[in-house]
Amino acid sequence: MKLAVCIKRVPDMEGRFKIASSGTGIDEAGLKFDMSDFDGYAAEVAIQITEKLGAGEVTVISLGPDVVQETLRKALSMGAHRAVQLKHDAPVSDGLAIATALAAELKDGGYDLILCGRMAVDTQNRSTGAFVAELLGLPVITAISQLNVDGGVVKARRELEGAYELIECPLPAVVTIDEGIARARYPSLKGIMAAKKKPLEVKPAQVGAVTYQLEKMELPADRAAGRIIGEGKDAVPELVRLLKEEAKVL
Amino acid sequence: MTASNGLFALIVAVAAGFFASNVQRLVGYLRLGRLDDSRWDNVPRRLYNLATIGIFQRKIFRDGIAGPMHAAIFWGFCVLTVGTSEFIVRGIVPTFTLAHYLPQWAYRFYQNSQDLWGALVIGAVAFALWRRLTHRVKRLQGAETHANDPLLILSWIGLLMVTMFLAESFEMVAFPQHASPYYRPLSYALANVLSFVPQDWAAFFRSLNWWSHGLLVLGFLNYLPYSKHLHVVASLPNVYLSNTSGPGQAGVMKYMDLEAETEQFGAKDVEHLSWKSLLDGFACTECGRCTAVCPANTTGKLLSPRKIIVNVRERLEQRALELQTAGSGRETAEGRPLLDGFISEQELWACTTCRACVQECPVSIDQLSVILEMRRNLVLGESRFPEEVMPAFESMEQRGSPWAFDPGERGKWADGLDIPTMAELAERGETADILYFVGCMGSFDDRAKKTTVAFAKIMKAAGVNFAILGREEKCNGDPARRMGNEYLYQMLARENVDTLAKYHVRTIVTACPHCMHQLGNEYPQFGGHYDVIHHSTFIAHLLAQGRVPLREELHAAVSTFTYHDSCYLGRYNQIYDAPRETLKRALPVVHLVEMPRSGDRGLCCGAGGGRMWMEESEGKRINAERAEEALATGAQAVAVACPFCMTMMRDSISSRDESVPVYDIAEVVAERLG
Amino acid sequence: MANILAFSETRLGELRRAGLETVTAARQVADATGGQVHAVLVGAPGIAQHAARLAAHGADVVLVMEHEAFANYNPEAITATLAARLESGYRAAFFAASAIGHDLVARVAAKMRLAYASDVTEFAFSGDAVAVAHPGYTNKIVQRFVLKATPALISLRAGAVLPVENAKAGAVEALTAAIDPTSVRVKVTLTEKAAGGKIDLGEAPVIVAGGRGLKEAANFKLVEDLAAAFGNAAVGATRAVTDDGWRPHSDQIGQTGRLVSPDLYVACGISGAIQHLAGMRTSKTIVAINKDKEAPIFKVADYGIVGDVMEVLPVLTEAVKAVKAGA
Ligand SMILES: Cc1cc2nc3c(=O)[nH]c(=O)nc-3n(C[C@H](O)[C@H](O)[C@H](O)COP(=O)(O)OP(=O)(O)OC[C@H]3O[C@@H](n4cnc5c(N)ncnc54)[C@H](O)[C@@H]3O)c2cc1C
Ligand SMILES: Cc1cc2nc3c(=O)[nH]c(=O)nc-3n(C[C@H](O)[C@H](O)[C@H](O)COP(=O)(O)OP(=O)(O)OC[C@H]3O[C@@H](n4cnc5c(N)ncnc54)[C@H](O)[C@@H]3O)c2cc1C
Ligand code: SF4
Ligand code: SF4
Repeated sequence: MKLAVCIKRVPDMEGRFKIASSGTGIDEAGLKFDMSDFDGYAAEVAIQITEKLGAGEVTVISLGPDVVQETLRKALSMGAHRAVQLKHDAPVSDGLAIATALAAELKDGGYDLILCGRMAVDTQNRSTGAFVAELLGLPVITAISQLNVDGGVVKARRELEGAYELIECPLPAVVTIDEGIARARYPSLKGIMAAKKKPLEVKPAQVGAVTYQLEKMELPADRAAGRIIGEGKDAVPELVRLLKEEAKVL
Repeated sequence: MTASNGLFALIVAVAAGFFASNVQRLVGYLRLGRLDDSRWDNVPRRLYNLATIGIFQRKIFRDGIAGPMHAAIFWGFCVLTVGTSEFIVRGIVPTFTLAHYLPQWAYRFYQNSQDLWGALVIGAVAFALWRRLTHRVKRLQGAETHANDPLLILSWIGLLMVTMFLAESFEMVAFPQHASPYYRPLSYALANVLSFVPQDWAAFFRSLNWWSHGLLVLGFLNYLPYSKHLHVVASLPNVYLSNTSGPGQAGVMKYMDLEAETEQFGAKDVEHLSWKSLLDGFACTECGRCTAVCPANTTGKLLSPRKIIVNVRERLEQRALELQTAGSGRETAEGRPLLDGFISEQELWACTTCRACVQECPVSIDQLSVILEMRRNLVLGESRFPEEVMPAFESMEQRGSPWAFDPGERGKWADGLDIPTMAELAERGETADILYFVGCMGSFDDRAKKTTVAFAKIMKAAGVNFAILGREEKCNGDPARRMGNEYLYQMLARENVDTLAKYHVRTIVTACPHCMHQLGNEYPQFGGHYDVIHHSTFIAHLLAQGRVPLREELHAAVSTFTYHDSCYLGRYNQIYDAPRETLKRALPVVHLVEMPRSGDRGLCCGAGGGRMWMEESEGKRINAERAEEALATGAQAVAVACPFCMTMMRDSISSRDESVPVYDIAEVVAERLG
Repeated sequence: MANILAFSETRLGELRRAGLETVTAARQVADATGGQVHAVLVGAPGIAQHAARLAAHGADVVLVMEHEAFANYNPEAITATLAARLESGYRAAFFAASAIGHDLVARVAAKMRLAYASDVTEFAFSGDAVAVAHPGYTNKIVQRFVLKATPALISLRAGAVLPVENAKAGAVEALTAAIDPTSVRVKVTLTEKAAGGKIDLGEAPVIVAGGRGLKEAANFKLVEDLAAAFGNAAVGATRAVTDDGWRPHSDQIGQTGRLVSPDLYVACGISGAIQHLAGMRTSKTIVAINKDKEAPIFKVADYGIVGDVMEVLPVLTEAVKAVKAGA
């Protein structure tokens, strides 16, 4: 079984972000980067499948400048077998353009199953998996929390708000991975050493036409933490109002 | 030389040969371990250890009952070995006697000593047997112990003594001309009692006992290698070869070359351990002192440091055969490796690295290094660890702190306190005398931040010129290293060393014993050499110099304190007095009450060795045990000198008695700042 | 002017609140730019009964597609049908930013080779452009961009537009599936409500957690009541609480318990120890109720109430019930 996992390199979400002077990106100074969380789960799922079968190959693919090699190495140290960097130095902010490049790489790979994250934890577009599938003409199941591949059929579960559904489709297919399915393993030093010897190919990315541009990034109006809205039960109406109107969680 | 001399000579030769081959076999076993652990340096220190710990049994005496008992047997053995040697030579060359070589007074003294120590040994053995048979001494129990072995050995030793006395006494009965009260008074007295025995019968009994004694001695010698009493042979070399590093250095974890061409990181089986750890296996007496003080074991966890060591020996004996017969066509069945086959993951993760076991072991065994090497294999080799540890590892890697806080907020506690960062000073072309390394707890934990601020205020009041690193500071790496994640640890240590080099830092103060131990004792492995001072020592100095302006205070709100020793301050760095001194100076009116387990016997709080990031669901919580001990002193407040101890003590005390506060010693002092 | 399409999500024959939000949003745009609102209702036969509610919220036309094969979500048939319909000339289409809405909008966009805006919290149409805002970086950054594609495909974050009644004709028209809904590759075989009552901590959008401030096990009832009032909430606890056996260890949140990041976290009588924060700091909105105004939990809370939990919780429970009943 051949599996491919698309991996995006994203900044650590715990940091306090600053907007870069361009206004359309974040200031990357001092930020640490790692694999997007959902992509880590996707890599884990793929690796577990080959481990269970005792056969198969996991290819990890990432589009971006050379620093993404670090992220690809991490996936290799977890147990993926080979990696491909689709080299592209300028940031691309068009989901379709990225998917075009990924699809071009995936097209002739003979993959039975292609895994993406449900969304990239930074830009959170949730588009890539569906775009890649469409471009490849493959069925896709998004945001799955359970996966079972057997006899050429993918069976999956997706969590809905307060409900869930069970979904099936034939292989080859694309799935996008939600949380709850597996935790990305912590690479052992043995894995890290082995990863240094695994193949990592660098190819130019065939990014599609860019039809779509980011205008501006901004920090949300500061809901300064530590805001005490009142004392005792008299503060309840104000709390409920804020939850409804400002936080929009009620 | 008679036929009987000839026979004896033959028996001695066979016994000696057999013993020698056993020794060779065991030394061969040791060579299966890692040999890159040289112990041939530091001879004076080693001889000193041999004399104090080995010969004078310093650590044995830490147990008030078993101590004198064992010392009697041990010293008896030393003394009687001389007699036994003479005995054996005389068995072969009947005319031999030390009397020819010694002045009369010395010979007489020697003869007397044999008698006296023989009697003492009989007494001690009898006591030991009685204790074992009638009292179930807790530390001597345990599934891993060989319970019948000590009974056999004790009886054997007793018989040795009895036959010695009987042989001597019957000789005096058989040959009254040899009898003298000035040489062997006790044998002489016994001979008087036995004088009713006819002379020829006495001569026969003398021979009988003589032969018995001789055979028992030689048998004993050859039984040792198969018994836990191998310690009789192995413990002195073990003490000689033990870790000789001074305070601070003794607890340092060995550097590990991560670039080395190897598939094996840490220890999964005995051959991955240092040869010295294997020797530890031979030297262990199964006395259980280590397990009796182990905070994990005494609160109901499976971990027992004695079992770790006993397992090392058991597995070594099995593994050696496997390795020796491998490829020979008559392979022995492969046993399971030390990890999983003998020692479970659960045991290894329960250790708080408190060093109480190492401290207590009378033969200087290092149980902890086996545990830590095995943890390294678990994490680096197999990526096996409690799942709750993963976020801590990831966060240390991503954000330089085991808790997922924004690294940019590390210096936030100092807002408004006018404390510069090194970077700010450097920008102004200035520098500070002292770097305050705050640590992760001190930077992010709300309770610990109070200590951080208190210590900073004290330094300011004393006019100390210091700065912090702010966001450039990283976790010192201790949790990662103690949890076996050497890779992550070295990453953090190197980053910190680089940062410190950038500002030419030489003197560092910190309120965290883990930071202190790392920066001061383990960073030299990465080229970082600093003078690192714990805040307890530093404040004690400032107070002694009168540099801290304190308000006059005749009545303290709290009048009795008890102080909880931090392992990394105490057993790792031998700092026991400074925190107590600080408390007394800060609050002269305060009465300090000690817990039963304090100083170098202090009970761990339960947080060390990365336990801070693991759930403790097995047995009783260690901090609960310690809280109860602290509350039982009746003290009105508990003082600590470590942010980890602070969390542990406060958590467990507040759920028992909310009226007893826990303070860091710096807070106690800051409270009185004028 | 071109029309606006609104996909009204249903589940197991029920219309979802999100389905009214998309219609309301479409109505707002149509009112500003001209054109009609076409709401799409897909389901098993009988789903058309909801057309009246869509009309009441501003649908000029309700396009109904009924078939047994739509009893469960049928992504490929719906995608093909919507893409074909949108090709006929619409200005925009609104979807819910729900699991299904996200799935569908991405498929439609892919089929039409269009960029789209996901999880939108604000939008403004002007000419051939739509300025939208979409939170990213775990809500720490608002990303604003201009979408020039037509139709503009937008998935709308829940609550970004609240349902407003604005009755229109709501003429029901049948929509025919563009492909045979029974011969699709991706089949949903079962849709089921999450096992009644207890929602797993990891998945609950709302968590109400209690600490030692509740004083005794029995008082956890207050926490449970508030969770019940939310309807979609799970109950969590600190280690102080699980240690004392008031709650099972499986409810423990924190460093050595569960790591959670719900949309809303209500901390009741919790001091906010670092080990607890380690498990819940990433929650999107944090509310803290604690009688000690110095408690560290307030430093991470978005909204704090200084007060006695015994007094505040019952009042809050009633207030939440009132809001939920009103919706
Ligand atoms: C502020 C901003 C807003 C944007 N808004 C939109 C928008 O609304 N609509 C839109 O179409 N585009 C948008 N883009 C473009 C967007 O950032 C993406 O680059 C693109 O849409 C992919 O989406 P995503 O990275 O969020 O990943 P998602 O679509 O959320 O999908 C994530 C999955 O795709 C895969 N993946 C994503 N990127 C890579 C990569 N470089 N290499 C390998 N695999 C990858 C991974 O498996 C990952 O888990 C925006 C860009 C920015 C900067
Ligand atoms: C190794 C280790 C692991 C740990 N792991 C976890 C973990 O995973 N999760 C976790 O939660 N903790 C964990 N802890 C424990 C943690 O350190 C704290 O002890 C614990 O979180 C405190 O729980 P609490 O806030 O309920 O209690 P407390 O700290 O006692 O706080 C109670 C709070 O309630 C307030 N209060 C009291 N009465 C009232 C009232 N009537 N109305 C309103 N407020 C009131 C008080 O002001 C106080 O702030 C761990 C500790 C250790 C050492
Ligand atoms: S270091 Fe402490 S916890 Fe670990 S085994 Fe030794 S005594 Fe037990
Ligand atoms: S390791 Fe040391 S203390 Fe422990 S049982 Fe063996 S000899 Fe005794």
